[in-house]
Amino acid sequence: MNKILSTLVGLLIFTSILFAQEEDFTPAHNIEKVQNELAKLTENTQTIQSPFIQEKHLSFLEENIISEGNFYFKSPNQLRWEYSEPFEYLIVFNDRNIFIKDDGKISTFDTESNKMFSEINNMMIGTIQGNLFTDSERFYVKYFENKSQYLLELEPKMEEMKGMLKIIKIYIDKSTISVAKIKMIESSDDYTSIEFTNRKLNQAIDDETFNLK
Amino acid sequence: MMKLLILNKRNNTIQNILYYHPQLVPITIGRGSQYLQIDSRFHGNDSRAHFLDRLVIFLKVKISAILLQGGKLFLILLLIVSSCSNPYKNLTKTELELNQVKDIPYSLPYLEKPVIYKTDIQFYKNNISGLLIIKKTSDKVYRIALTTQFGLKIFDFELDHGKLSTKYCIEYLDKKVILNTFETDFNLLLMQFEYNSFAAIENATDNQRIWQLSSGKLYYDYIENNSMQKLENIYFKKRNSKKISVGLHSYQGDIPSEITLEHHNIKLKMNLKLIK
Repeated sequence: MNKILSTLVGLLIFTSILFAQEEDFTPAHNIEKVQNELAKLTENTQTIQSPFIQEKHLSFLEENIISEGNFYFKSPNQLRWEYSEPFEYLIVFNDRNIFIKDDGKISTFDTESNKMFSEINNMMIGTIQGNLFTDSERFYVKYFENKSQYLLELEPKMEEMKGMLKIIKIYIDKSTISVAKIKMIESSDDYTSIEFTNRKLNQAIDDETFNLK
Repeated sequence: MMKLLILNKRNNTIQNILYYHPQLVPITIGRGSQYLQIDSRFHGNDSRAHFLDRLVIFLKVKISAILLQGGKLFLILLLIVSSCSNPYKNLTKTELELNQVKDIPYSLPYLEKPVIYKTDIQFYKNNISGLLIIKKTSDKVYRIALTTQFGLKIFDFELDHGKLSTKYCIEYLDKKVILNTFETDFNLLLMQFEYNSFAAIENATDNQRIWQLSSGKLYYDYIENNSMQKLENIYFKKRNSKKISVGLHSYQGDIPSEITLEHHNIKLKMNLKLIK
């Protein structure tokens, strides 16, 4: 009986810690200092490789849809996004080219010809390298922080984007100055969060990683 | 006179040569397995062509033109011919009570848990791919959402007693014609359309039982494979001409892990693969 009780108490404490993590962000006092810190982001992230966990929350589902995979980025504009669970899907952005491998079939697009993909591409790269935060034409930016992370809330200004996303939250680790998590909240409050679980920064990545044949 | 070469698209070989007078019949360029090439270097002497010859040429070109329209007209002709005869005419048909519709061995409309299919939609030249989530929220009410692999929503519909309403839809799909098409498709997959008669038709030759729901000229055939006791196909027909065909394959328990849905009168195809 005692055991059950202690487990319950343990669970309660654990969940409250989880909540606290999400909640204890306070507005950053010295925005200029934060901005100076974030300026290091571009330099810190010449390359990134990390496994990721993606969670999709839909209001009508009790459980979130979880998918996993691997993420590779090489400055300035090479990105490989590979889903392995529960489905296989691979998208590679390489300069102006987009390759998609789905069901064993490879299709190629041009970012110029596909607006949606080029938006995704710009947003991902902009998020990871930090250029998005300084884009005051397209976003209102709010700065928050807690002990270990900065939290940036980006609110789109343009109508087109507002229709899709209400807010983008970017969580940045203070110790490494690298993006740990991105949360995209839709106008319906449904959201997608992508957490980079084991980030390796500035390690060489072969160019072939961004080529699909 | 002009010389028309009828070419086979696959191997570019000449299938037929026709002589053609521009005033007799308008040129139709086919989009099917054949196409026309007009050889303008050839100029026959019109005045020497006998009236009867001209008539024969006219008819030949006319028929070829029909065949050339991507086989589309030919298909319609076939459909007209086929719609004159009911394929189930000589089979034993038993009228059933409307509430016996639950006897159809098809679990998709009744699942309490959400199902997720990796989905590919080919709509004319557009290709949309993502995850399709179907969730029964209460009796005869469903939520149907499509998100991209990255998670962004493409659409989020509610199907309530067969009526589709939009919670969210990206601008470029948010058009009445498209939404009506989705309504028909999901009603067919989830058996939510209205019907006023229900019958079972035994097809011993193919070892099938056809569960047929109908409403006026509209027929919804749910085809059961008797040895598997699972549905293999669904057809939506107007009179006897097929409008939508659905194939259900690779069952995992009660749920088909592969679903293909194809429209016959518009270029719309959906491929679904179960992931959860």
